[in-house]
Amino acid sequence: MATDQRCFPADIHLSTPNSARLNRLMRMSRRDVLLAGMGAALVSGTGNVFAATPDDADIATFMTVSQRLTDRDTLDPRIGHALFMGIVHAVPTRRDQVNQLHELMTKNSFTSARELARAAEQADPGLKDAIHDIMTGWYRGLADHKVVVYRSALMFDITKDAVYPKTYASGGPFYWTKTPPEVALPTGEPALSPSTFVVEPT
Amino acid sequence: MPDITRNILWSVLAAGTAFASLPASSAHADDAPADLLARGEYLATAGDCVACHTAPGGKPFAGGLKIATPMGDVVSTNITPDPDHGIGKYTEEDFEKSLRQGIRRDGSHLYPAMPYVSYSGLTDGDVKALYAWFMHGVKPVAVTPPATSLNFPANMRVAMAAWNMLASNTPPESGDSATFDKMRRGRYLANALEHCGTCHTPRNMMLSEEQDSYLAGAPLVGWYAPNITSSKTSGIGNWSEDTLVQYLHTGHVDGLSQAAGPMGEAVEHSTSHLTDADLHALAAYILQVPAKEDSTEHKPRESFGQPVEAADVRSGDLTRIDDLSEMSGQYIYDANCAACHGPNGAGTSDHYAPSLFHNSVTGAGRPDNLIMTILNGVDRTADGQHVHMPGFDHDSDVQRLSDSEIASVTNYVMTTFGSGDHAATPEQVAKLRKDIAKTP
Amino acid sequence: MSSEQSLSADVVIVGSGVAGSSIANELARAGISVIVLEAGPRVDRQHFVENFRNLENKPSYQGPFPSVPWAIHPPNQITPNEYLHTTGPDAEAYQQVYLRMMGGTTWHWAGCAWRYLPSDFELKTRYGQGRDWALKYDDLEPFYYQAEVMMGVCGPDPSVEDLGSPRKQPYPMEALPISYAARQFRQLISEKTPWRVVHEPQARNTRPYDSRPTCEGHNNCMPICPIGAMYNGSYSVYHAEAAGAKFVPNAVVYRIERDSANKRVTAVHYYDPDKGSHRVTGKYFVIAAHCIETAKLLLVSADDQSPDGIANSSGHVGRNMMDHTGVQVSFISGDKALWPGRGPLETNVIDNFRDGDWRNTRGAYLVHMVDDNQVDLATALAISKGYVGRELEEQIRYLASHTVRLFSHNEGIADPENRLTLSQTHKDVLGIPHPEVYYKLPEYTVKSCEHTRGMFRELIGLMHGTDEQWTPGYFPQDHPAGSTIMGTDPKDSVVDGFCRTHDHENLFMASSSVFSSVGTGNITLTVAALALRVADTLKKELVHA
Repeated sequence: MATDQRCFPADIHLSTPNSARLNRLMRMSRRDVLLAGMGAALVSGTGNVFAATPDDADIATFMTVSQRLTDRDTLDPRIGHALFMGIVHAVPTRRDQVNQLHELMTKNSFTSARELARAAEQADPGLKDAIHDIMTGWYRGLADHKVVVYRSALMFDITKDAVYPKTYASGGPFYWTKTPPEVALPTGEPALSPSTFVVEPT
Repeated sequence: MPDITRNILWSVLAAGTAFASLPASSAHADDAPADLLARGEYLATAGDCVACHTAPGGKPFAGGLKIATPMGDVVSTNITPDPDHGIGKYTEEDFEKSLRQGIRRDGSHLYPAMPYVSYSGLTDGDVKALYAWFMHGVKPVAVTPPATSLNFPANMRVAMAAWNMLASNTPPESGDSATFDKMRRGRYLANALEHCGTCHTPRNMMLSEEQDSYLAGAPLVGWYAPNITSSKTSGIGNWSEDTLVQYLHTGHVDGLSQAAGPMGEAVEHSTSHLTDADLHALAAYILQVPAKEDSTEHKPRESFGQPVEAADVRSGDLTRIDDLSEMSGQYIYDANCAACHGPNGAGTSDHYAPSLFHNSVTGAGRPDNLIMTILNGVDRTADGQHVHMPGFDHDSDVQRLSDSEIASVTNYVMTTFGSGDHAATPEQVAKLRKDIAKTP
Repeated sequence: MSSEQSLSADVVIVGSGVAGSSIANELARAGISVIVLEAGPRVDRQHFVENFRNLENKPSYQGPFPSVPWAIHPPNQITPNEYLHTTGPDAEAYQQVYLRMMGGTTWHWAGCAWRYLPSDFELKTRYGQGRDWALKYDDLEPFYYQAEVMMGVCGPDPSVEDLGSPRKQPYPMEALPISYAARQFRQLISEKTPWRVVHEPQARNTRPYDSRPTCEGHNNCMPICPIGAMYNGSYSVYHAEAAGAKFVPNAVVYRIERDSANKRVTAVHYYDPDKGSHRVTGKYFVIAAHCIETAKLLLVSADDQSPDGIANSSGHVGRNMMDHTGVQVSFISGDKALWPGRGPLETNVIDNFRDGDWRNTRGAYLVHMVDDNQVDLATALAISKGYVGRELEEQIRYLASHTVRLFSHNEGIADPENRLTLSQTHKDVLGIPHPEVYYKLPEYTVKSCEHTRGMFRELIGLMHGTDEQWTPGYFPQDHPAGSTIMGTDPKDSVVDGFCRTHDHENLFMASSSVFSSVGTGNITLTVAALALRVADTLKKELVHA
């Protein structure tokens, strides 16, 4: 019987149509393995990271950097804590990069997210990925390829006068016939160099 | 349609068709003046006769509804003008005796599920109008519903004669009820027709209403008909006449309360059809009923709670499709309730799904009505709007929740948005499930 | 390994999706004993709602439904796939997904409840292409209506908006009021093009219906309606159970047993998750296991009596695989804000190319303007463009309010070379081979897709669109059909006009597998109507017997 079973990770490495899809498959398979109850090692691995809880200073630094990069005075510390854990779990060097961003902030007096991000990429191109992770965390609610927050992601806060997060529509039946707000063409500039945009396959 | 389980006293599936089929156009209509028939029809609506005298899916007024009482099920009778199966042979005098005295044409006593102790307060003129309408405005139906079987001694209708000695009838009104002043009209509507006390006044051992606790709240086969005296803490003493009128007319007042279960049906079939003047009279009368305090409710029911804004920090983990293990109350709420009532409990912005804080159900001192609402859902048509919340009972197509899931989510909702943790238990939910009378 | 345990009923149905459960409901209500064998488990909505919210890749509509090992379904639309192995020049265009669990794939459909056009049933006669069905639209009309009532379908008044499929009764519910975005789109199309936008008929409540609530526009029909306002097969399962039908979950049918003459099916055998074997006997058998699984089961059941598989004297089991192939584009409109994603997902369709004389050379298609919340995609896009902070927020609002997504259903056509076979290399934990499909897009469909691309380019121009994102190549619309094709000639078809197999007089197929052509409308309503017709046939034969 055992030979009849598909061993997901082994097969995945045989299939490399393109990097995005491979990336996706890796994640899918990890989840499937977890779900199939075969992921004890991974679970305990996660546990180890949580055992090495970052100290309050790490979190405070992360919050300070996050506030600057979102141009927001207040961010939810519970979300911040969970995002930091996920981001560092996925890429341990992010801890140092967050500190690097913080140092840049203290050495300069940036008045906007754009100034910090631009300066960071100039100082160290590797910081761009860290900034992407922080943006993805706060705005999309994702870290370490997992959902950290769904409806509380900032992208829904920005758009709450027009649309609801899926499954949380609270306008009542037929709210959608009403006219939503107009949105002006933005004039702001990007801070970072553009990256390839990959639509994840379904 | 799936199996529809209906509860207790006011249960009419055919309501939508009931009123539609009532135009006074039968062959006999010529025998009675149109205004008398119209008055009779209005009174029958105010008295909500159709509610008990129609079985789910059955013909209007043909009887057959099982009415659960502590002594057993009473089955309502056919009151259409069919001569053999209904009341077609009743003279106006026979009709008056059954309506106001609870004595049938054959001389036997009616069970007090029939609120004749209320109808005894009707004026002669209104009895006449009702009789005219029942004889000429209602379609005869040739069906005899099953007989009632009660536990001893209530199964002896002769014993009911003794009960009637104890029960205090509403004294009959005299004169033309249409000309009563506001407060007298309100009392007349509340007692002789709407029979509010039938549910809202606690009953004694013999099932008769305790008049010193008039409208002080009573259990109602699973539901709890709340204290609606003028008590500012236990009753509805903070409601204005206008809000009560709005409630009775639409079944809903934002930030205050909404009608479900038996009251939803009373609004749908009766109070939403009353004239504005009658609603104001009824509301004014109810609001001056002497305050009676409740042992469990010391703060207005609608005063509890606020929106709960908390980030939804998540595990990000998925469960396999066959993992049906129970979630905590918070996640049962998130998965089943938050889509409409909002993660913060504020309901929909158009109030179609009500707010769960500032809500007399979650602010009550008992979880019964919340549990019953979760089990039964809400299905109420009033003032042109059909409000519907699915139930989560064992026959739900949307989601079937277990006793412990319902207990968990009830406790979560009452703790988070309402009067606090009332420690609802799975056993309590199981009992309420059983209390829902199953109709044939 | 096998602990044989006997079950028996008048009618044994394999599969509990919309087809199997609605047949079970009809038969049980007529007093006929029914057993339904479902490969997957019992499930419930609340966990799917939470799974969706915990899902990283929200557009993955298989995502919230991680399958059980004994009845795996395709985890995604990615080629190569862990379950459905597609090959051939257009392998990726046939990477279908579906769900193996109680209630079936309608757990995550979008509720689009089209009737086929009369011409869809006569493709060969009218246009010299593909094949005709062994029934006509009029044969199915009463069952279409029965299916609409069963599901609760809302749709337009035919005197105002004729969708081309003649109706004897109005839709059970009034059409859904359209969103602001759809209204703008509709206006543009009517003012600036020769085409029209119609209300899509949908199995979605525009009022409380069948003890389920009115749609509140959660915009999540796929993958999971959180409130039950949209029909799914689980309601028919519940109704059938209430009427006395017996449903057996986690029962993976792997063998179809016949009598010595090979004329009648006598039993089916299933594995439980521990590979314990069980035999179920009956008078009639219905395979209602989705197009892919139905053909797979007939092939898996091959034995000495039928070495090519059950009901396969024609050799056509597993052939003629069709689908609606999709062309998809997203772009940023240069006009007013639309804010898609308010209300249900799919409500508006350009239907001008569902039929026409040109069908003698190229396939028909319809176009959806997808009313899908774009906030997450807009955010990912804006981050990738390098925005942060205040500028990022401006971008998110702009992109989320101006993104337009269009996709099409382009008509496939029966080609015996497009074929499902059993995988020689992959088996599941029960030892049952995975399905494998060879697919080459028919020229007929390719031409249709080209025409669609032209229309999309024209629409992008009209809306002053920028940032076009074309989904590469062709993608499957998860409407597989044809694997047990219907026809009048037993030599080149598997079932007759009543969905009865030519080879076995008491064996029926209830699935899109019987479709002789695939038309353009979503297939579910036609699947349900055919299933209700099978129920009608069975009732007549069993009650009169």
